[in-house]
Amino acid sequence: MDHRISLKKETEYISPEGLRLDGRLPSEMRQISAEIGVVPNADGSAAFEMGNTKVIAAVYGPRKVQNWGQQINDQALVRCEYRMANFSTGDRVRRPKGDRRTTEISLVIRQTMEACIMTQQMPRTQIDIYVQVLQADGGTRSACINAATLALAAAGIPMRDLVTSCSAGYLNGTPLLDLNYVEDSAGGPDVTLGILPTLDRVTLLQADSKLTMDAFESVMQLATEGCMAVAGYIRRVLREHTKQLELRRGV
Amino acid sequence: MVGLSAGEKHFIKGGIDQDLRSDGRKRLTYRPISIETGVIPQANGSARLRMGDTDVIATVKAEIGKPSHLHPNRGKVAIFVDCSAIASPVFEGRGGEELSTELSVALQRCLLGGKSGAGAGIDLLSLNVMEGKICWDLYIEGLVINADGNLLDALGAAIKAALSNTGIPKVNVAAEFSAEEQPEVDISDEDFLRFDTSSVPVIITLTKVGKHYIVDATSEEESHMSSAISVSINSRGQICGLTKRGGAGVDPSVVLDMISVAKHVSEHFIMKLDSEISAAEADEAGS
Repeated sequence: MDHRISLKKETEYISPEGLRLDGRLPSEMRQISAEIGVVPNADGSAAFEMGNTKVIAAVYGPRKVQNWGQQINDQALVRCEYRMANFSTGDRVRRPKGDRRTTEISLVIRQTMEACIMTQQMPRTQIDIYVQVLQADGGTRSACINAATLALAAAGIPMRDLVTSCSAGYLNGTPLLDLNYVEDSAGGPDVTLGILPTLDRVTLLQADSKLTMDAFESVMQLATEGCMAVAGYIRRVLREHTKQLELRRGV
Repeated sequence: MVGLSAGEKHFIKGGIDQDLRSDGRKRLTYRPISIETGVIPQANGSARLRMGDTDVIATVKAEIGKPSHLHPNRGKVAIFVDCSAIASPVFEGRGGEELSTELSVALQRCLLGGKSGAGAGIDLLSLNVMEGKICWDLYIEGLVINADGNLLDALGAAIKAALSNTGIPKVNVAAEFSAEEQPEVDISDEDFLRFDTSSVPVIITLTKVGKHYIVDATSEEESHMSSAISVSINSRGQICGLTKRGGAGVDPSVVLDMISVAKHVSEHFIMKLDSEISAAEADEAGS
């Protein structure tokens, strides 16, 4: 009887047929879609959706440094603010601005984007990246970074490469790509990876919970493949956007 | 907020004097409106409204709560507005707080009626589940995605659209319970109650520039504003709330004139809004 209880406690995240709770294969990503130019006021903006996770990123700059004391003489100042809408999660929580989670994600996004922006080319300027989460269903970090990349590219800011991000996890002995909220809160490891796909560099790597060396390798491999797929999609969206701009110019 | 040269300012002002604004509109014409409903699946109701370049999202979440002692047969409604930093860098950090609060309070005044809840656009009695024990708490949240003037009117219209998109689940209360205990409730997943939003007022803001006043000012025009009056009016032409904004004083006779103009404009605006909302609902049902 004890045995049956323990079996029941452990939720099956993968069905005997090898499908996940939302019907995906372990190595399948959620539907992604992106749109450029959603915020007309901004210099560059993009909305990025990964399944039910939806974020908007807006870039203002390069512009004059607002706080003179923060000016850097040989490179641009990159700033980032991450904010979650009160209605973005299932339960309504009114969180104060600048709580620890928000500050940490802002920092992570800033560092990741700073690694690919050619800051030396724009000394004494400031670039602001604002990300707003409209819907949170796991993988907000990745979605924010992907949206920020698109927004930066749309703003015409020189970058070394298009940094892309994707998460992967490990549940029921199987590596899973792009965890949703239910899988993320299952207690297994959640590895968020950000890479520069053409330069082949890792710019962001975060993992929680324990994982064996071998398992980590396969999870990391899966996340890299996810990043590559996102990179391909982002490149297509940007090309399409540029084509549209070209059409409008009438060339 | 908007950096304009003396020449540009003169141009905008001259246009308003001649009843031909910089974007080709007349003084009392609104920008085109587009509405999308059901944009946030986690909420009970949501709508995204674009008015020219102004872009806002409104959501409604319903939670089971306890009515206050003073009004045991009424539900509770709260309105919060958040100005996202993506709309403008000045909203970064705590920068948007002042504007957010101003908008939230103005919306509460215009839509929720007095302290007792009398005269509210939303029928608070319909949120009652069991007198003195259970009621629905509605949390209405507005989020500004892009700010190009006239945020209050846009948010008011978006909230109206979100409310008509809202489905409140039917609640069954357990038959037996003791007097002190909170009764158990069973929230239905299938049956929903729709709101009657025909009495929800719209907000019309008249911005005074020079001698004239205009509706639906863009942020460029708002930078000229000496004062503005926001009037909330329902479909029966009754005034549900008033807010005067801006520093400069207005002549009392002008105030009355502005209110009557707002009433006149509201008739067209309500009609336009209602048709946009039903079109959006049909769109959502079709997809």
